[in-house]
Amino acid sequence: MSETTDLKINVYKYTIILACVAAGFLVFFIEDYVPLIYGLIFGTLIATLNFTLLANTIERAARMAPEKAKAYATSRYFIRYTIYGVVLYISIKADYINVIGTIIGLLLIKVVILIRYAFNDKTYYKKIFRKK
Amino acid sequence: MEPITGRALILACSAIGAGLAMIAGIGPGIGQGFAAGKGAEGVGRQPEAQGDIIRTMLLGAAVAETTGIYGLIVALILLFANPLINLL
Repeated sequence: MSETTDLKINVYKYTIILACVAAGFLVFFIEDYVPLIYGLIFGTLIATLNFTLLANTIERAARMAPEKAKAYATSRYFIRYTIYGVVLYISIKADYINVIGTIIGLLLIKVVILIRYAFNDKTYYKKIFRKK
Repeated sequence: MEPITGRALILACSAIGAGLAMIAGIGPGIGQGFAAGKGAEGVGRQPEAQGDIIRTMLLGAAVAETTGIYGLIVALILLFANPLINLL
């Protein structure tokens, strides 16, 4: 097991839960929800795949020489960026997939990371709203 | 010389806008490369902190990609699903 396995499993778990919640909202509030659900599934799958690719890249880059790591991480980023581009292009062109669903799916994993790991410290908010 | 139609003007401006939006994709690439270089330096200096460094770098890199995706979405929508054409 690598250093990031626990983190990846945790992020995937919460992403799937959030995707199910988002799918439930779409089913209740949108009339023609099937293309949106397809887009959501497509986007979430690609986002998790790209997160795995990112984890592999970071793990390899951390063991390289700094200059080599820089070039390696940047080149791999553009490969992932191309994957995002192809996915969005397919969702725009295909009638049975809604691009809004795909965008939501692609960004769900970022929302999970922000909620779980960036904005989870309550003392930070207490410091903001504390009166001097 | 034929006059420029509204549709042609919108398409031309959308293409320019898409090109400008794609500039947003370069920033995260440079940033991730820089972070990876500094992370590799950190691992070399303090090998016992490798796990923490990799985890923090992974979360930071994943969030940093978001702005690049926003730019890509704007560019692709302007090129292939332009909502402004329907306003004519």
